Amino acid sequence: MNVLWPVQLQPDVNAIATPPAPRRVRDLPGDFAIWIFIYAELLVFGVFFLAYAFARAGNVELFNEHQQFLDRTTGAVNTLVLITSSLFAVRAVEAIRRGAAASCSRWLAMAVMSGGVFVVLKLIEFADKQEQGITLSTNTFYMFYLSLTFFHFMHVLMGMVILSAVAVKAYRGAYSASRHTGVETGASYWHMVDLVWIVLFPLVYVMH
Amino acid sequence: MSEVFTKSMARNIYFGGSVFFFLLFLALTYDTNRDLPNRDNRGAINEQVSLGKRVWEENNCIGCHTLLGEGAYFAPELGNVYTRFGNSTDAIVGFIKSRPAEGIPGRRSMPQFNLSDEELEAVAAFLKYSSEINTANWPPNVQG
Amino acid sequence: MQYQSQAVAKPYFIAAIGLFVGQILFGLIMGLQYVMGDFLFPEIPFNVARMVHTNLLIVWLLFGFMGAAYFLVPEEAERELHSPKLALALFWIFLIAGALTILGYLLVPYAGLAKMTGNHLLPTMGREFLEQPTITKLGIVVVALGFLYNIGVTILAGRKTVVNLVLLTGLVGLAVFFLFAFYNPENLVKDKFYWWWVVHLWVEGVWELILGSILAFVLLKVTGVDREVIEKWLYVIIAMALITGVIGTGHHFYWIGAPEYWQWWGSIFSAMEPIPFFMMTVFAFNMVNRRRREHPNQAAVLWALGTAVMAFLGAGVWGFLHTLAPVNYYTHGTQITAAHGHMAFYGAYVMIVLTIISYAMPILRGQKAGNRSAQVLEMWSFWFMTVSMVFITLFLTGAGILQVWMQRYSDAPMAFMVVQEKIELFYWMREVAGLVFLIGLIMYVWSFFVKGDERVVASAATA
Repeated sequence: MNVLWPVQLQPDVNAIATPPAPRRVRDLPGDFAIWIFIYAELLVFGVFFLAYAFARAGNVELFNEHQQFLDRTTGAVNTLVLITSSLFAVRAVEAIRRGAAASCSRWLAMAVMSGGVFVVLKLIEFADKQEQGITLSTNTFYMFYLSLTFFHFMHVLMGMVILSAVAVKAYRGAYSASRHTGVETGASYWHMVDLVWIVLFPLVYVMH
Repeated sequence: MSEVFTKSMARNIYFGGSVFFFLLFLALTYDTNRDLPNRDNRGAINEQVSLGKRVWEENNCIGCHTLLGEGAYFAPELGNVYTRFGNSTDAIVGFIKSRPAEGIPGRRSMPQFNLSDEELEAVAAFLKYSSEINTANWPPNVQG
Repeated sequence: MQYQSQAVAKPYFIAAIGLFVGQILFGLIMGLQYVMGDFLFPEIPFNVARMVHTNLLIVWLLFGFMGAAYFLVPEEAERELHSPKLALALFWIFLIAGALTILGYLLVPYAGLAKMTGNHLLPTMGREFLEQPTITKLGIVVVALGFLYNIGVTILAGRKTVVNLVLLTGLVGLAVFFLFAFYNPENLVKDKFYWWWVVHLWVEGVWELILGSILAFVLLKVTGVDREVIEKWLYVIIAMALITGVIGTGHHFYWIGAPEYWQWWGSIFSAMEPIPFFMMTVFAFNMVNRRRREHPNQAAVLWALGTAVMAFLGAGVWGFLHTLAPVNYYTHGTQITAAHGHMAFYGAYVMIVLTIISYAMPILRGQKAGNRSAQVLEMWSFWFMTVSMVFITLFLTGAGILQVWMQRYSDAPMAFMVVQEKIELFYWMREVAGLVFLIGLIMYVWSFFVKGDERVVASAATA
C-alpha cells in the first residue's frame, strides 16, 4: 500500500516499539504529531493568503486606499518582538540540549513574555480599529486584515499557552539533555507562529 | 529521539485544536450576532410575520420548498417568491388558496391546507419579510 | 462475546436494519413522486414522505450508534455495561416514541400533529430534519441522557481507551448540540444560523468522532494492528476533522443573511474538509494491508474499507464540488445538494453502522463470523447498494448541473417547474438505481438468514 504514500508523510506505523522511523520524520525536531498540525495550519494560512491576493487583484484601489490607515509602526515593532521571541525559543532548545533545564525554562519564560508584548500591542491596535467603527463587514480589505490578524493573534495566544506549559515542565525538571522532545515541539509551533507573521505583516500592512 | 510520534501529543492536538477552533467559531458567531441587525430585516418582524413563520412551520412547507436555499428541492424556492409574484402578497395568498384538494393529474401539486384568511395573510407577510433579508444577492435571478 | 451485557446491542441493530428498510421504501416513493407528481397524492404528499425518509434515517443511525456503543464500550472498558436493564428500557422507549412519531406523520396532517402535541407551548417543529413534535424531541433528550449516563459510567469505571474516550466525546457532543433544536427564534436568520449548530456540527463535527472511533475499533479487531498505532491516528484524523469542520460550518452561512465574510471563512476551511476523510481512507487501507491476522469476517473488512472510500467520495469530493462560495452561489439548494447529501450520508454514516453490525452481529449470535454463503451474499449486497448509490449520486449530479444551467446560470433563466420537467429523465434513472439499491438491501437482510457449512467458518476461525 506504499503506493498510497507518494510522500513518506507517515512514520512506519508498526515500528513504534522498534525504531528507527523513516529518516525524514526523524529529522523533524519535536513530536511528529505537532508537524501534522503545523502543516495543516500553514496550509490554512497559505490558502488565506492566496485568497487575499485573489481578492486584492480584483480591488487593488480599495486595498491600497485602506492599507495606508494601518499602524505600520506597531506592526514593525511586533515583527521584531516575535523574531526576538523566536530567538529565545532557540536558546531554550540549545539550553536543554546541554541539559541546562533552569536556563531552558528562563528562555522560554522570556519567549512567552515577548509574546505578551505582541499581544498587548495588538490589542491596542484592535481597540483603535474598534473605536473607528471598523469591523469585519466594513469592506473586503478590513475583512481580510481583521480575519488574518485575529486568526494569527489567537495562534500567538495558543503558542504562549504551549510555551508556558513547556516552561513549567522544564522548571520542574521533566526534560534533560537526552529527553527533550517536548521543548522542541513547543519551539517548532512557536516558530510557525513567527513565520506566519513574517509573511502576514508585509503582505497586509506594507505591500502595495 | 525514541518517541517521534506519541499518542499523548496526538491527544493534545485533538483537544487543543478542537478547543482552539471552537473558540474561534464562537468569536465569529459573536461578531455575526453584532452585525445581524444590519442584514436580517428584523425591523419588519411583527406579530403577523411571527404568526406567518408558525404557519410556515406547522404545515411543513420546508418538506417540499426551499427557503433561502434550504429545505427540499421538490418545489420552488420561496425566499424570493414575493418578488417573483410581482411584489404582491395577494398573489401569494391567491396561489395557496386555489390549490385543488385532489391535486392535478400526473403533476406535482401543492396540497390544499385550508388555511384561514388570517393565516394566509400571515404566511404571505412572512414570505415578504424573508424576501427582504440581505442574502448577498442570492438567488442569482428571480427564478430562485 | 466477551461480556454478557454486550448482548443489548442486538435489538438496537435489528431495529436499525428494520427502520433502514422503511427509509428506503419511502425514498422510492419520493423518487416516483419526482416523476409522477400525483403518485399517492393527497394521501402521502411529498413533504410527508420526505419527512419519514429523513427522520427514519436519523433515527436508525442513532439506533446504530447506540448499538455500536453498547457493543464496543464494554469490550474496550473491559467490564460489563453499567446497566443492561436501562439500555433495554431505553431501547423500547426510543422505538415506541419513534414509531409513534412516524405514524403521526403518516396518519395525521402535520398541522394537526402540531396542535395535538402542543407545539405552540414551545414551537420547534417544521424545520428541516427537526420536524419531530417537541415532545418527541424531549424524549430524544431523555433517551440520550440515560444512554450517556450508562455509557459514561461504564467508560469512566473501566479501562479508558482512546476509542472509548473519542466515542464518549462524540456522543456528549451529539447530545449537547441537539439542544439547539429547541432554539427557534422568530428571526429567520438566527433560526437558520443556529439550526446549523445541530445539523452541521452533528454530521461534520461530532458524528465524525463516532464514525472514527467505530472504524478504529473494527480495524483494531479485524487487522490485529498495534492498538497504539490505530489510536494515535484516530486522534490525528478526528483532530483534523474538527479543525476544518467547525469553522467549515461557515459554508452554510453564505446566503442566509449572515455577514458576507463567511463566504471567505467558510470557503477556506471547508476546502480543507476533504483532508481528514482522505487521511481516513489511507489509514484504513494501510491498517488492512499491515494486518497481522486474517479475520474470518471478510464482509466486515469490506464494509470498513468501503466506509473509508465512500465517506471520502461522498463527504469529501462531492462536498468540495459545491462548497466554494462562488460555485455555491449557483448550486445552493439544487439537486447538487441532494447528490452530495445522498452519497455523504450513505458513505459515512450508513456504511459505518453496517460495518459495526457486520462485525458484531455474528458475534452476538454466537459465531466469530457469518458462514461463507452468508458472507458472500452480504458482500454482494455491499456492491449492489454501494454501486447503485454511486449511480444515484451521478444521476442527481447530472440533474443538478442541468438545473443550475437552465434555472440559475443561463441568460434566460427558466422557471423551476419548467426545468424540473426537462430533467425528468435523470429522475427516472435515479429511481431505477434506487430499485437496485432496494434489491441490494433485500439481499443484505436475507444474508442474516442464510445457513451454510459451519465447519468452514470453524476452521477459518482457528486459522
